[in-house]
Amino acid sequence: MKFIVSSTYLLKRLQVLGGVINSNNTLPILDNFLFDLDKNQLTVSASDLETTISSVLEVESDSEGAIAVPARLLLDTVKTFPEQPLTFVVENNNTIEISSNHGKYALAYADGAEFPKAVELANPSATTIMGDILASAITKTIFAAGNDDLRPVMSGVFFQFSPESLTFVATDAHKLVKYQRTDVHASEVAEFIMPKKPLNLLKGILAGSESEVKIEYNESNAKFSFDNTELICRLIDGKYPNYEAVIPKENPNQLLISRSQILSSVRRVSIFSNKTTHQIRLKIAGAELNISAEDVDYSNKAEERLSCSYQGDDMQIGFNSRFLVEMLNNLSSDEVSLEMSLPNRAGILTPADGLDEGELVTMLVMPVMLNS
Amino acid sequence: MDYFHFLGIYPYFSYPFFIVVNKTILHLDLDTFYVSVERLINSELKHRPLLVGGTSDRGVVAACSYETRAFGVHSGMPMKMAKELCPEAVVIRGNSASYSKHSDIVTEIIKEKVPVFEKSSIDEFYADLSGMDRFFGAYKYASELRHTIIKECGLPISFGLSINKVVSKVATNEAKPNNQLKIDFGYEKPFLAPLSIKKIPMVGDKTYQTLRNLGIRQVKTVQQMPMDVMQRVLGANGKVIWKRANGIDHTPVIPFCDRKSISTERTFDRDTIDVHKLRGVLIAMTENLAYQLRRGDKLTACIAVKIRYSDFNLYSKQLRIPYTSADHILIPKVLDLFKILYNKRMLVRLVGVRFSHLVSGNYQINLFDDTEEALSLYQAMDHVRKRFGDRSVLRASALEAKSIGRIQNPFNGQPPVVLAHRKQ
Repeated sequence: MKFIVSSTYLLKRLQVLGGVINSNNTLPILDNFLFDLDKNQLTVSASDLETTISSVLEVESDSEGAIAVPARLLLDTVKTFPEQPLTFVVENNNTIEISSNHGKYALAYADGAEFPKAVELANPSATTIMGDILASAITKTIFAAGNDDLRPVMSGVFFQFSPESLTFVATDAHKLVKYQRTDVHASEVAEFIMPKKPLNLLKGILAGSESEVKIEYNESNAKFSFDNTELICRLIDGKYPNYEAVIPKENPNQLLISRSQILSSVRRVSIFSNKTTHQIRLKIAGAELNISAEDVDYSNKAEERLSCSYQGDDMQIGFNSRFLVEMLNNLSSDEVSLEMSLPNRAGILTPADGLDEGELVTMLVMPVMLNS
Repeated sequence: MDYFHFLGIYPYFSYPFFIVVNKTILHLDLDTFYVSVERLINSELKHRPLLVGGTSDRGVVAACSYETRAFGVHSGMPMKMAKELCPEAVVIRGNSASYSKHSDIVTEIIKEKVPVFEKSSIDEFYADLSGMDRFFGAYKYASELRHTIIKECGLPISFGLSINKVVSKVATNEAKPNNQLKIDFGYEKPFLAPLSIKKIPMVGDKTYQTLRNLGIRQVKTVQQMPMDVMQRVLGANGKVIWKRANGIDHTPVIPFCDRKSISTERTFDRDTIDVHKLRGVLIAMTENLAYQLRRGDKLTACIAVKIRYSDFNLYSKQLRIPYTSADHILIPKVLDLFKILYNKRMLVRLVGVRFSHLVSGNYQINLFDDTEEALSLYQAMDHVRKRFGDRSVLRASALEAKSIGRIQNPFNGQPPVVLAHRKQ
């Protein structure tokens, strides 16, 4: 087995694939890249058992074979080379020799057959979506997903496909984000929960991508194919909570305010809030929004007043400022609207402008129970 | 070194530390506080042997008058035993509300007269009088303060005045009853030397025994020992005790008491195996403590349950949880802990619940688990409790556990009311 490949081309692909490899694996073989050579097509794969990602590289070769190469070692080596061809030659003594313009490097490899095989999707359904749209759907939702091991369904992003629209939902039971695209459609109704890790990988690879992504899925797995890359992952098993039911329908109190203004105010004020609960208080009366925070343990206190446009009754509501900052940060509009009904019901944050055609963003944030 | 010599401050102890600034710390202690209050309320009780404490079989002496002490009675002793020792004593159950009230009156006077004070328990105060010598003469000022309190409240009070909290406290105990004592600067060690090691705060029964077994009886012996030896014998505590024995204590007077945890416990009149009753008591405790959290705008992240079986073995278990103050989260967790803990099929003497890792904040509402009705119900119940007392509404399952509940807000910056037979 022998092939020649450009060092930067290889590095670019390896770095993408390397994202899936865990830093400490129980299964040592997972510390490797699988190199599967078929003439001038080299398929490189990496896996953590849950997620397998593979990429096809064009190389110069006329041989065949499959080997597992230590990922860390290879990445560290390839990273240091300026652009040049690298020659990989498999030696008989279970080592692979890399020749560069500078010298030779040998590393031990394992048999490619030891590497776990990626699952094959049995009778999958399929949808295609623009890479960039998928990336922004992930970016807009993933921050709201939870980390609770006790409720695994909430640690992922809920994909809801229908002939009318695609919907992406993430929640940790305190905040919720719903991102809907009515300009993209699926052939049939389908729902599944994607874990965070492969989504983060996809987000990184697909940001700004012009290529089409083909999503195939069945009950247990999903496969994303684009360019020369394939990502197969296991889905989170379980029933996603009925999020539609918790979105308040009637919200008579509506606040309209500049996003950058409220974001910087909340940021500043929250410095003075309790370091554990990050609790801030919004008081809205007339056309004035009063944001305050207090840390009684250290006698820290802050208060800011902002002018806003407000329709509804005067009210007082407490929030975890972390949630507000995360949500406001994730939006890109100039103005945002915050709709509320009661101090113990969710506030609904939506961008007031700057959305693409067919794009819908709804963010929910649960308040804290203030003592009146 | 030169700087301190320049100031005229010299190291005067035999150890390599020296005190840079001389403080003047006053320790005030109301003598037999509960007894004095009862006598104030009912003057017939004066000059008669008096016991305050639980009157049931399990009751202990919370306070005893000096007359009864001659019979060998001391606080913390089972009431039954105290009655046997001193049959002619009058026994009063005691009323913590009136004690709190009188304690508050004294607190008000002290607050008015001193720059910084710390209320370390219901009947004990520390005040920092540093620098007041320049204007009043700290000792004279303290005596006047003491006489004001005696005149205005009618309660006997003693004080000790010295350079730090520990020496002042020991001095107060030496001054009692109804007297005062000043330890002049530099005479701390000679003052402590002839005393029994038991007089050092922190030396309880156990430590006392350990030290006695080493042949140590007087503080003097500890003073002559190297610190390392004490540390080897008693661990980290040994170092502190050694320092205290040498009259060294740098702890400041802290004007505000920040609660690290809140807890409640119940010793049953008769040991019980009635699981239903135990669960009812735990629910009542949790419900009450959760209300205290909400009233004080606090959240807890650690709950603990403890059980003492009739063989006096104490078991406890704790659990970390996400920050919360909601009944419906806390009660099931407490009951779960109890289920794990209660596995002996033995009579139970005591159960208790404790919330720690407290932070300021309010309950973060959950999108899926909390309904609006439940939240409104909690708010309404808390509202009722605020107006009519914390036992005015409760769960039916907690009805059986009568008299669980506290009168005071635990987050008012005051120290917890320590039960008399507990050592702090």
